Amino acid sequence: MSRNLPVLDTGAANEGLTAEEITRRQFLQLAATGLAVGALAGCVEPPRERILPYTVQPIGVHPGKPRYYATTMPLGGYGTGLLVESHEGRPTKVEGNPQHPASLGAAGVYEQASVLQLYDPFRAKSLRYRNAPSTWNAFVREFAPTPQRAGYRGAGLRFLLQPTASPLTSALLDRIRDRYPEARIHSYAPLGSTTGTSGLLRLFGTRVQPQYDLRNARVVVTLDADLFGAMPFAMRYARQFADGRRLANPQAPMNRLYAIESALSDTGSIADHRIAVRSADVAIIAATLLRFIAAESRTRGITAPDLSADQQAQHSADERWRMIARDLVANARQSVVIPGEQQPAAVHVFAHAINLLLGNIGRTVWYTEPVLYTTDAGGIDALTREMKAGEVDSLIILGGNPAYDTPAGLNFRAALRSVRLTAYTGLYENETASACHWFVPSLHYLESWGDARAYDGTASLTQPLISPLYDGRTADQILALFLGQTDYSAWDLLRESWRTRFTAADSDLIWADSLRRGVIVNTAAAPLPVTPDWSVVTQTLANMPQASDQIELVFRQDPKVYDGSFANSPWLQELPDPVTKLTWDNAALLSPRTAESLHIESGDLLQFRLQNRTITIPALISPLHADNSVALSFGYGRRGTEAIARDVGVDVYALWPGADQYVISGADVSRVESKNAHRLATTQDHWQISGRPVAVQQTLNGWRADPDFTREEREHAEALYELLPTAEEQWAMTIDLGICTGCSACVVACQAENNVPVVGKAEVLNSREMHWLRIDRYYNAEAGSGTITQPMLCQHCEKAPCEYVCPVNATVHSDDGLNEMVYNRCVGTRFCSNNCPYKVRRFNWYNYTMGWSETEQLQFNPDVTVRARGVMEKCTYCVQRIREAEIQARLENRRIRDGEVVTACQQACPTRAIVFGSITDPESQVSRTREQSRLYSVLNELGTRPRTRYLARISNPNPAFESS
Amino acid sequence: MPSPELLVTPGDEELSDLLLAPLWSKSRIWLLLFALTGAGTLLLLFAMTWTFSTGIGSWGNNIPNAWAFGIINFVWWIGIGHAGTFISAFLLLLQQPWRASINRVAEAMTLFAVLNAALFPLLHLGRPWFAYWLIPYPATMQVWPQFRSALPWDFAAILTYGTVSLLFWYVGLIPDLATARDRAPTRGKQIVYGIFALGWRGSARDWQRHGIAYGLLAGLATPLVISVHSIVSMDFAITQLPGWHSTIFPPYFVAGALYSGFAMVIMLTIPLRRVFRLETIITERHLDSIGKLALAMGWAVIYAYVIEAFIAWYSGNIYERYALLIGRPLGPYALLYWIMLSCNCAAPQLLWLRRVRTSPLLLFGVAALIQIGMWLERFIIIVSSLSRDFLPSSWHSYRPTWVDLSLLAGTISLFLLLFLLFLRFVPAIPISEVKHLSHETSRDEAFA
Repeated sequence: MSRNLPVLDTGAANEGLTAEEITRRQFLQLAATGLAVGALAGCVEPPRERILPYTVQPIGVHPGKPRYYATTMPLGGYGTGLLVESHEGRPTKVEGNPQHPASLGAAGVYEQASVLQLYDPFRAKSLRYRNAPSTWNAFVREFAPTPQRAGYRGAGLRFLLQPTASPLTSALLDRIRDRYPEARIHSYAPLGSTTGTSGLLRLFGTRVQPQYDLRNARVVVTLDADLFGAMPFAMRYARQFADGRRLANPQAPMNRLYAIESALSDTGSIADHRIAVRSADVAIIAATLLRFIAAESRTRGITAPDLSADQQAQHSADERWRMIARDLVANARQSVVIPGEQQPAAVHVFAHAINLLLGNIGRTVWYTEPVLYTTDAGGIDALTREMKAGEVDSLIILGGNPAYDTPAGLNFRAALRSVRLTAYTGLYENETASACHWFVPSLHYLESWGDARAYDGTASLTQPLISPLYDGRTADQILALFLGQTDYSAWDLLRESWRTRFTAADSDLIWADSLRRGVIVNTAAAPLPVTPDWSVVTQTLANMPQASDQIELVFRQDPKVYDGSFANSPWLQELPDPVTKLTWDNAALLSPRTAESLHIESGDLLQFRLQNRTITIPALISPLHADNSVALSFGYGRRGTEAIARDVGVDVYALWPGADQYVISGADVSRVESKNAHRLATTQDHWQISGRPVAVQQTLNGWRADPDFTREEREHAEALYELLPTAEEQWAMTIDLGICTGCSACVVACQAENNVPVVGKAEVLNSREMHWLRIDRYYNAEAGSGTITQPMLCQHCEKAPCEYVCPVNATVHSDDGLNEMVYNRCVGTRFCSNNCPYKVRRFNWYNYTMGWSETEQLQFNPDVTVRARGVMEKCTYCVQRIREAEIQARLENRRIRDGEVVTACQQACPTRAIVFGSITDPESQVSRTREQSRLYSVLNELGTRPRTRYLARISNPNPAFESS
Repeated sequence: MPSPELLVTPGDEELSDLLLAPLWSKSRIWLLLFALTGAGTLLLLFAMTWTFSTGIGSWGNNIPNAWAFGIINFVWWIGIGHAGTFISAFLLLLQQPWRASINRVAEAMTLFAVLNAALFPLLHLGRPWFAYWLIPYPATMQVWPQFRSALPWDFAAILTYGTVSLLFWYVGLIPDLATARDRAPTRGKQIVYGIFALGWRGSARDWQRHGIAYGLLAGLATPLVISVHSIVSMDFAITQLPGWHSTIFPPYFVAGALYSGFAMVIMLTIPLRRVFRLETIITERHLDSIGKLALAMGWAVIYAYVIEAFIAWYSGNIYERYALLIGRPLGPYALLYWIMLSCNCAAPQLLWLRRVRTSPLLLFGVAALIQIGMWLERFIIIVSSLSRDFLPSSWHSYRPTWVDLSLLAGTISLFLLLFLLFLRFVPAIPISEVKHLSHETSRDEAFA
């Protein structure tokens, strides 16, 4: 004991002990005290800032329980109402809004992926002027004086927007036109074809827009129209059509679809007759149909013009057109012919003439005022001409990406240099941003106040789910600047705009109701009466070009990146194309025969030359593609700051000659020799079903003749050991192959809901994509459209082969029928994958959780584990949703109701092909599907007893076709 | 009359000197080979570390080919090991005298093969730091392994096999370590060999107990020859994958294992015999016998191929028919399939000729082909079955990466490295057994 120790008064002095003479007891006391003091001394002083506990919660907010908000997503100018799930103030998942006509509760590929775009780490974060960062105030200073300039009527002022139907934006644009009579407002979108409007303008003499309702249609004919995929209102049409073939028994009535198209689409995939023709030949086919229908109508005593005069212009002596015509006429007033948006005006004239003759108007098709805001300022070519001529002083570009997606022939990007002052607002510093002086980051719809109209005119509001992540503004706010409204927030603008439209007394009430509901009631456009000018029809008929065998180029929308807007979405880049299963790339699609005639194979590089412009793009052979037709999809080959999209695929806009010219003949095609073969990353390489009863289909007559045709795939063999499950609910799923179009919305929904990682092109090339749910496509020449799609996910087999081979009990079976994956027990032997006959299990080959930016992590669903390296994962029947419903039901002391648990894939599906529920409830929807005679299990003979079962596809071919 | 097991009958002293000579001498060739195999082993370590740190993604596996090189190598190595035990244990129980000179080499081969094999079930795991969950220990999580799966059986089988082989090999080694101790040129070597000789004195009692222990261990090891590879084959046979789901797998795999094992014994003993001038001890008789065994096993394997294909056809099952009769001979790996058949079925027919069986060079060549063929057989079984199974939509091919190839080359290097160490530090030819045989032969001759 040295003298430096704290000396405690232990009475040692009284006892006469010196510091050197210390007893054992005293030593222990000292030691213990020293220890205690030392421990206390090790404590840090409490921080000065006070924290407050979450004892006073906002009303309705329960941490851990998500809330749903209605909003609207604009695409192509039209709005789709959505319900967005929000966890603790951030949106994580998009669902459809059942009350909105465009959604009916479903959300497609673009809608599902939009939530990730909100969190895109490559989004622009701040304003820029020339090369220096700037502020909103500086932008305001630049443009706010404009309305105050004395005598300024807008000379040289131009606005370029994407097509919009937003009532707020329309009102602002109207006011701008009034304020600046010499300014011009242009709208442009690469996919915004105006041929439909001009065709109907010719036919009816007024600007109208067609509206379709397939619920009353027994026969549907599409003329190169991707009705269930690319058209506005596609999800609605898909649902309406599916409702007409949700067959409960062989006697149920069934509609029929003829799809006449060049490239295989979702629509063609589900058609009863899919006829592959060149897109350029659709016009002559439409003309032929029109003639036949006119003639047929006359023979049946229906008044119709005599169009038989010019018999030469006919698409061969093909009996098929006559049979289709007969079918249409036999179903007059219950049929519809729908022309493709990108087809020339003539096709629209013919199609609607046919609809008129068939008496479909007012039943399956009618006409309304155009919903999109229209000006007569001319299109993008007019604007570019003026720019090049130096007539444009200031150009304000609100959204879109015209420096990238305008036709190469216009050379818009170069024309921008001739404009004194350019300003652009967009989500990214893209090709257009780099060519403009001012750049203002725009707000994503999930952070915006605004409004939109659906294709049928139904208005709905857009409300934000999160405060703007970055320093952005809406296009409306920028427009308001030019009207002197510099202090108005987006909310202010919107509220004021709608204040006058609602009846004053209930204004606030209707406002609140519209926000909550996601729809403003009674705002659909009213049908307009129309009178056709038949002379236009005969004139157009007289000027029909013949069918030809020249190779044509078809420029089209990409099912994943749209027109390039979504190119930076890793989910969408990795989503297998619904038809070709191609990822991280685009390709020139052509038919096997055309490829053979050009001596090329998939992956070979093709060079296309058109009007002195060339692109080099890999070829991809697509079965069922029309001969002598090459499909090129927009949206790739990006060169902005969006790193995900950079150099993925080939920029097809570089070859595109002009707006509205989607089908071009006479291009030069040649093969390019290259040392480095281009590898196309497809998730599926084998397409023949080879007689295996995997995706089963039958014709309607075949089903009627033998209702039990799936018996071998349905009946269970006896097992040695029958397990009796004990839980009250036994979960199961049925997928109706008859109404699955292969659109792949379910795939993106599953990825969003379950935090499924993206692996990149190199890994997809090595078959390591992580999608828990995939859409398999098979080509089979004999039946229906020639192709069938089958969503394949974990079958949750009652006798699961994966369970007995796992060495560590990481995959087990729950009492309620789920095959459960226990991530934290999995050691990664991958034995389960080997024994899964459906190959639905996915393995984390690398650590896929690294490299997520902070914002992307906000999108993760907090109810689902993010998996580590070395662990298997697979579909869980959205077990988090099941358990949530169980908890809720237990709290309320009741059983789970049918329809209360909705899996992510089920919820997204536009046609409602996926049905999920408990088979212990005989009244549940899934139980009723089990009673159907076309039910079957995939690979039934293996005895896996899957809970996921399928309804065989029934097709409804025209009997006349078979006998011809 | 079969050729003799020993060509000369040297005295005990000469035998000891001859067979201990590799332990005391320095050899340039040995150092060179050691450096080469050492480099290969470093490559193995590098590839292993790479795998552990970045993940199985660095291998070529994918869905559906979740198992490929890792398991092929595992089965190949374990198979090779079986012939060692066959020669040392099986033939001991059958009292075949010609096993005497080569059994330790064979048993060492088994040990090193099992060691190499055991690396792969660890390496191929997604989370190898939890590998111990396959062991049935009383875990605090109160979860046992899932015993219906073949992988815990594998663990038990390999653990048993490795343990028994090690013991068997070591017990047989003890008298020879004592000989080395007694003749060690330096004190240091004397101490080391002395420790491992466990105090062997060579008394009659020692020999008696040794004989019993050795025999018992042989008795334990012998059934393992059949059981271990049967269990390994269950990794495949218990699944329902066409091409794997076949009841002939256990005997088929055991035959295949012995087949490749004999080939490996040939490939090891022929150079050994040449380098250490042991032609009098490993004689033509040995080469002839192993050649015949290899041929016999080869025919067992041919039988298995034929039956497999026949049953697939006879079953009428479209998936089985596709896997065996179309996928393999005509699919993406058709070339490898036909090479395999040439190596496994056609090449060994040369072994009918005595000239081939007794020619070291030709026998070595045939053995090398058999090794390659047997590796390819596992490749075909695993990869061709996985890459094309029930749903055509999930068909995808497999290609190995540099890590896969490094691991294979690395384990071969490690095997050779261990073998070189074995040759350098341990009497490769059982001195006591050869002496025993020598005495018996001269006694027979004396009484003939």
